[in-house]
Amino acid sequence: MGVILDVSDLHIEFHDHEKPETVVHDFDLMLEEGEIVGLVGESGSGKSMSAMAIAGLLSRHEISKEGKILYNGTNLLTCSREELRSYQGKDIAMIFQEPMTSLNPSKRIGWQVEESVRIHRSDIDAKTRKEMAVTQLSRAGLPDPEKVYMQYPHELSGGMRQRVMIAAAMILNPRILIADEPTTALDVMVQAQIIDLLREINREYHTSIIFISHDLSLVNQLCHRVLVMHHGRVVEAGRTREIFRNPQKEYTMKLIGSIPKVRLDDVPPDRQEMAGDILSVRGLTVSYQSGGGLFRKKQENLVLKGIDLTLHRGEILALVGESGCGKSTLAKAVTGMNSRYSGSIELSGDRPQMVFQDPYSALNPSHTIGWLLEEPLRIRGGMTDADRNARVLEMMDMVRLDRELIHRYPGQLSGGQRQRVCIAAALMLKPEILLADEPVSALDVTIQVEILALLKRLRAEMGLSILFISHDLRTVYQLCDTVAIMKGGVIIEKGPVNRIYREPEQAYTRQLLKAAGIAVPGAAV
Amino acid sequence: MKYIVKKLIMMAFTILVISFVVFLAFRFIPGDPALMILGGQSSPEKIEALRQEMGLNDPVMAQYLRWLGGLLRGDFGVSYRYSMPVLSLIGEKIPITLFLTLEAFLLMVVISIPLGIYTAKYSGGLIDRVLVVINQIIMAVPPFFSGILITWLFGMTFRWFRPGGYISYKVSFASFLGYLFYPALAIALPKAAMAVKLLRSSVLTEAKLDYVRTAYSRGNATNDVLYRHVLKNAIIPVVTFLGMTLADMVAGSLIVEQVFGIPGLSKTLLTSISNRDYPVVEAIIVLIAVIVVTSNVAVDLIYRALDPRIRAEE
Repeated sequence: MGVILDVSDLHIEFHDHEKPETVVHDFDLMLEEGEIVGLVGESGSGKSMSAMAIAGLLSRHEISKEGKILYNGTNLLTCSREELRSYQGKDIAMIFQEPMTSLNPSKRIGWQVEESVRIHRSDIDAKTRKEMAVTQLSRAGLPDPEKVYMQYPHELSGGMRQRVMIAAAMILNPRILIADEPTTALDVMVQAQIIDLLREINREYHTSIIFISHDLSLVNQLCHRVLVMHHGRVVEAGRTREIFRNPQKEYTMKLIGSIPKVRLDDVPPDRQEMAGDILSVRGLTVSYQSGGGLFRKKQENLVLKGIDLTLHRGEILALVGESGCGKSTLAKAVTGMNSRYSGSIELSGDRPQMVFQDPYSALNPSHTIGWLLEEPLRIRGGMTDADRNARVLEMMDMVRLDRELIHRYPGQLSGGQRQRVCIAAALMLKPEILLADEPVSALDVTIQVEILALLKRLRAEMGLSILFISHDLRTVYQLCDTVAIMKGGVIIEKGPVNRIYREPEQAYTRQLLKAAGIAVPGAAV
Repeated sequence: MKYIVKKLIMMAFTILVISFVVFLAFRFIPGDPALMILGGQSSPEKIEALRQEMGLNDPVMAQYLRWLGGLLRGDFGVSYRYSMPVLSLIGEKIPITLFLTLEAFLLMVVISIPLGIYTAKYSGGLIDRVLVVINQIIMAVPPFFSGILITWLFGMTFRWFRPGGYISYKVSFASFLGYLFYPALAIALPKAAMAVKLLRSSVLTEAKLDYVRTAYSRGNATNDVLYRHVLKNAIIPVVTFLGMTLADMVAGSLIVEQVFGIPGLSKTLLTSISNRDYPVVEAIIVLIAVIVVTSNVAVDLIYRALDPRIRAEE
């Protein structure tokens, strides 16, 4: 095995503001042939920037000239643009985090998969090119590759699009594949399949892979070697097994410590005593009409098919399922945002308040935190300015937000702080139920831990009941008392977390647990 | 195919509705056509007789259907003022206004698409910054004023054309189009300035999207990314704008015809309005409606051809 890529002294600086901002310092990486190296870190750690620099996707004046990216004896930072382009897509290929937007929406899949061949191999004729593309699509695990070849991106699911991206990247059999968070935007089950596919590519074609992720357990599963990045620097590097078993640096320990752990053999965490129902859903059915028009009959699509669900006082109940299973539709019906349903929803008390997945877009950027938190009270009315202000401060203390932030705007806050603002806003009217729709999945792991702790504390201090929507079974295990597994608009299994995780009855639940890397005792895997 | 048929049916329906509204509106505007034809000194009996003859005493619906039936056969009625068929009054003028509008439209496309791409590609550069300022100024100039400026600059100062030297398409089609160039430019410039601005910002927005990064990662050169990936997506919002503009340009043509002394529909329309010569006015309005509705359908079809996501929505 030889070294295929040698990166040394990579410095990346952005010049957007008056003062240049260094986002990557002294980045070194020796990539061997056939090796999978993981780049791990939280958002802003510089991992994606380093990868983009290697792929030649950053403008050159942002990269310091002292550094070197040596491929095939050529320094990619100083060679001519033509030479750099001759490697891009042929020797070094890349796939990205967002399969939904990484493909050109107005071009056929086939055209996009073949693109690298058209650019780099003008000796190959159109017919052979098509054969190559169809072969790659089929290798990437797409059923009916001939059909996919003629389709457009919007006709495919997220998982299928990521497979298309992989097929396009692999078509000229590159020696290096850079995968930037390739599974982050996908459902757990699909995540596991994409990871398997990358492993297979590595084994079969000896492709070296640089795998960028914030998900340490994925890196642990896939990578031979790991580079841990923090604030633009590599803080620790080594064999994956050693790093995970025996981390040297404090930051690495903190990262590893924040992986939600599921140890089914441990004594189960304290579960609250349940007293009385606070929300009771019976036979909830929601359908929406599609198609239809002047000349066509409308079609009825059932999204929820007779859901029964009970939330007890002080309980944290998880709703788990893949996208499209009806989780969000259920949330909309319960919060009263959709009143077109049949069946009954009985609440004792007010409507539940919601916390959303993306704290970046959930807050109006043109108002201060104080204004945003006051808003529910203002709408309800009947309070003096001073009373409202007191309540805002009280709630900010409750969710551990610095009182100083009251005059700031959302754009000046970190993701974790914004999610605290969202939670505080939801609690302003003192609801008894909080409905949290994937509240931590857009956040960094270390922040996730803090927000989960906050939700637990709020439950203890305010007697809150929480409906927690998630696709991450590991997070659910950390937080929830009860879990309901949804598939195709039906709850297929529900019960206490301890029982469902130990003795799942449904095959689908077992698959979900397996995809999340949770070994079910006694189950043949 | 099914989609096109559906569109054509909708189009026919829209024109039908417009024709009805136009017809009805002119029945309710005060003023008796019979009185107008005969003049104030005529006896009431004479007027009543003419009303009877013209069918003005029939129910409105019957009058409408008779008029509509005429339209479908190419009979636009008879001018009150000149007592001759409307068609022979405006028939020779329709092509003049139509060609002026089309030439202006083509000029707009030819000017705006390359400039839009150029300013986006070199955005922030000197030429881009100068063009942005010039654009801003041109956008604010109404067609009749740009017409006056063009007449003064190209017609009187440079003498590149002779103001008022209109040549009929019957004499020489090429010279006819040649004379229309400057009036068409007057109509096209303000719209082209808007289209340049729109295309420029559309290209710049698209260029920030993820698929552009993917295109670069495969070894595409900048021009290939621009022409093979970005342009098709960036032009979609511009197509909508161009379609809406075509309708505006018909109105622009009517005004500019006055400035350049072109014997198109403009003059006939103006005199007919002041003469209350309703059959002529109605015919011209329906004609303009047909042009507008047709261009909207054309935009929809082009839109559909460009964007597969629109096709999927059926």
